[in-house]
Amino acid sequence: MATLGVVPSVPATGGDAATPRPAGEHDVNRKRLARLGWSFSTPAFLVIGAFTIFPIGFSVAMSLSHVNVSGSGFSLNGFTGSNYSTLVHAPQWRYALGFTVVYTIVTVLVEVILGTCIALVLERLTKGRGLMMALLLVPWSMITVISAELWGYIYDASYGVLDQIFHAVGLGQPIFLGTPTPAIVAMMVADIWKTTPFVAIIVLAGLVMLPEELYEASEMDGASGWTTFWRVTFPLLRPTIALAVLFRVLQAFGLFDLPFVLTQGGPGYSTTSLAVLGYQVMFQDLNFGPGAAVATSTAVLVLIGCLLFLKVFRAQVGEEGS
Amino acid sequence: MAPITIDKVTKVYPNGFEAVHELELEVADGEFMVLVGPSGCGKTTALRMVAGLEDISGGTLRIGERVVNDVSSKDRDIAMVFQNYALYPHMTVAENIGFALKLRKLPKAEIKKKVEDAASILGLTEWLDRKPGQLSGGQRQRVAMGRAIVREPSVFLMDEPLSNLDAKLRVQMRAEVARIQRRLGVATLYVTHDQVEAMTMGDRVAVMRAGVLQQCDNPQVLYDHPSNLFVAGFMGSPAMNLFEASLGESASSALVGSQRVALPESLHTTRPALRSYANRPVILGIRPEDLLVEGDSIPTGSDYSPLEGDIELVEALGSELLVHFTTDAHRVEAEGAREADAEGLNAGSLTQGGEGVARVEPRAQLLAGRRVRFMLNPARLHFFDATNGKAITS
Repeated sequence: MATLGVVPSVPATGGDAATPRPAGEHDVNRKRLARLGWSFSTPAFLVIGAFTIFPIGFSVAMSLSHVNVSGSGFSLNGFTGSNYSTLVHAPQWRYALGFTVVYTIVTVLVEVILGTCIALVLERLTKGRGLMMALLLVPWSMITVISAELWGYIYDASYGVLDQIFHAVGLGQPIFLGTPTPAIVAMMVADIWKTTPFVAIIVLAGLVMLPEELYEASEMDGASGWTTFWRVTFPLLRPTIALAVLFRVLQAFGLFDLPFVLTQGGPGYSTTSLAVLGYQVMFQDLNFGPGAAVATSTAVLVLIGCLLFLKVFRAQVGEEGS
Repeated sequence: MAPITIDKVTKVYPNGFEAVHELELEVADGEFMVLVGPSGCGKTTALRMVAGLEDISGGTLRIGERVVNDVSSKDRDIAMVFQNYALYPHMTVAENIGFALKLRKLPKAEIKKKVEDAASILGLTEWLDRKPGQLSGGQRQRVAMGRAIVREPSVFLMDEPLSNLDAKLRVQMRAEVARIQRRLGVATLYVTHDQVEAMTMGDRVAVMRAGVLQQCDNPQVLYDHPSNLFVAGFMGSPAMNLFEASLGESASSALVGSQRVALPESLHTTRPALRSYANRPVILGIRPEDLLVEGDSIPTGSDYSPLEGDIELVEALGSELLVHFTTDAHRVEAEGAREADAEGLNAGSLTQGGEGVARVEPRAQLLAGRRVRFMLNPARLHFFDATNGKAITS
C-alpha cells in the first residue's frame, strides 16, 4: 500500500548524482527551481497554516492551559495537565470513549462486509451497473444532517414510519430514540445505510482492477467460487478494504451529526460520542480547557489507532511488491 | 495421455460475430501444436474454447475420448499458461505452483516434493520463497509454466506466453518451453502471432485467418508449400515476394512486369495444372532466399531464369544481405499477413509498393542505385491463382 500516505515531494531540486553537470550551471538551476517551488507552495502553506495548523496548535495549547475567557478574548494562563486528568476521571468521557469505539467497530465492520457483498454483486452485473451505482450513491451523496432528519422522521415515536410498521405487525410500539440501546442501534442503522455505498464503491474500484486472468487461472486450478473469493479475491482486495476501513474509522470516530440531530447525545448520555461531548463541554458548558482536551485526545487516539492498523496491515500484507 | 480433437468447432458471439468457423484440428499425444495468425484471427478464442473459458457455439471438442463441450475448465484435465502469467501476487512462488495441488487436498509433503521437482526442472529452486512481484519477467514466465507442469495434466494450453518478454529472453525461453514440452511429452496447444515462434517451436503449425483454418502442417511444409497467398505471405521473414504475372502461350513463360521469366518443361512435369493457366494472370511468389546473385552457387547447365531489378537499399545483417529492389512488376500484398509484420516480430521488412527483397550471401558486391540481375530456380517458384489466391500445386 505505497499509495497510503505518500505525498509527492516539492519540485525536484535536481540532485541526480548519476549525471554530473558543470557545478555552476547545476547550482543556478537548483536555486531557480527551489525559488519556483517555494513561490508555488507559499499560498498553500499560508492557507493551511492559518486554517489548519494554527487552530490545531491553539486547541492543543488550550487543552494544556488554564483558559480564561473575557470580553477581550481567550487568555491561556500557565501550563497544566489538569484538563486531561479531569477527563480521565469523568464518567461521561469514559463512556463517550467506549461508545465511540464500539460504535466505530460495529458500523465499520458491518459496512465493510455489506459493502464488499454489494461490490461483488455490482461487479457481476452486466446490465444496469451504472444505474445501480447511481442509485446506490444517493444515500452517500445526501448531507448527513438531512439524512439524520429523515431518519428522525422514520424513528419518530408518534408518527414515524417504523413505529407504524412495528405496530401493524404486532411488535408493539418501541421507542426507538428514547431508550438507550434502541437509540444506539437506530443510529448505527442510519450510519450503515448512509455509508455502506461509499465502501461498496471503493471495493468495487479495487475489484475491477483485479485482472480477469487471475479468476480464470484459479478456475483452471480447480477452485470453487467460494475458494476463489477467500484465496484470491479477498487477499488481493485487502489493500482496498484497508483503505476503506481507514477512511471509515477516521469518519466514524468523529461521529457528530447523527447524534446531534437525532438524540443530542441522549437519552442520558447514551449516544454521546467524543465529538458531541467535546462540543457540549466547550460550547454549551463553555469549559474551553477540558473541551479542547476532549478534541485533542480524540484526534490523538484515532491517529494512534490508524497507525497501529497500518502497521499490522503492512506486516500482514508484507511486500507483495508490484 | 489424451490428445485434443477439435471437430468443426465454431464460436459465434451474441452480437453475431463469428470468431471461429468450423475449426478442425487434432493434437496428437505429445505433439506441440502451434496456432498462429494475425490479431483477431480467432486463435485465442479457439484456445479459450479448449480451455473451457469460452462457450462453444457449435461442433464437438474432445479431450481424449471424452466430449468436453459442457465440462467446466477444472474438470477437463488441462493446464493453461496465460499471456500475463496470471500469477497470484499474494502467494510465494511455491504457493503459486502448489495452489492447484493444495485445492486437491494432497498431503503437504507430496505437494512440497512436486513443487520442488517442478522448480528444479525450471531452475526456480532458489526463488521458491519469493513473491511474483520480486521476480523478473522470465522468472515469472517460468513460475507460470511450473504451475501448469505440477498438475501433470493431459493437455497444456499456452496463450502467447512469451509475448511479454524482451526479444532476447523470448528467444531463450522459446527453446526452453519447447525443451520442457518435449521432456514432459504432454500434448500442447500453443497460440502465438509470431510466425518465428510458430516455425521454431511447433511440431505442426496451424495458420488461421479471420476465424478460418488456412493450413495445418509441419513448419517446413508450410514454408515450402503454402496452400494459399495468405500462408505464403504470413510465414517467413522477410515475407515471400509476391508479384502479379501472366503466363504466356502454353505457360512456357511468365511475364513479370516487362520481364519474361522462362518456365522450363521440368516445371510442368511437377506442376501440370500450370498449363491450364496459359494466357491467364497468376501471382508469382519468390522467397527472398530464392533470388540468387553472382557468388551464390548456381549449378552449371541449370535452367535458371534471370530477373532484373534496381537496388534501393542494402541491409547488411552480417550473416546475409537483405537487398531491397524495385521492378516494374506490381507487387501483391497478402491481405492480413502484413499486419503480423506490423506487430514488430518479423525483422527486416521495409518492402513497399513494387519493391522486392532478396536475401543473398554477405560478400556479394551490391550497391544501392545499381542494377542487379537475380537468377531464379524455377522449381522454387510459387504460383497462385489470381482470383482465389490458392496455390497452383498439382
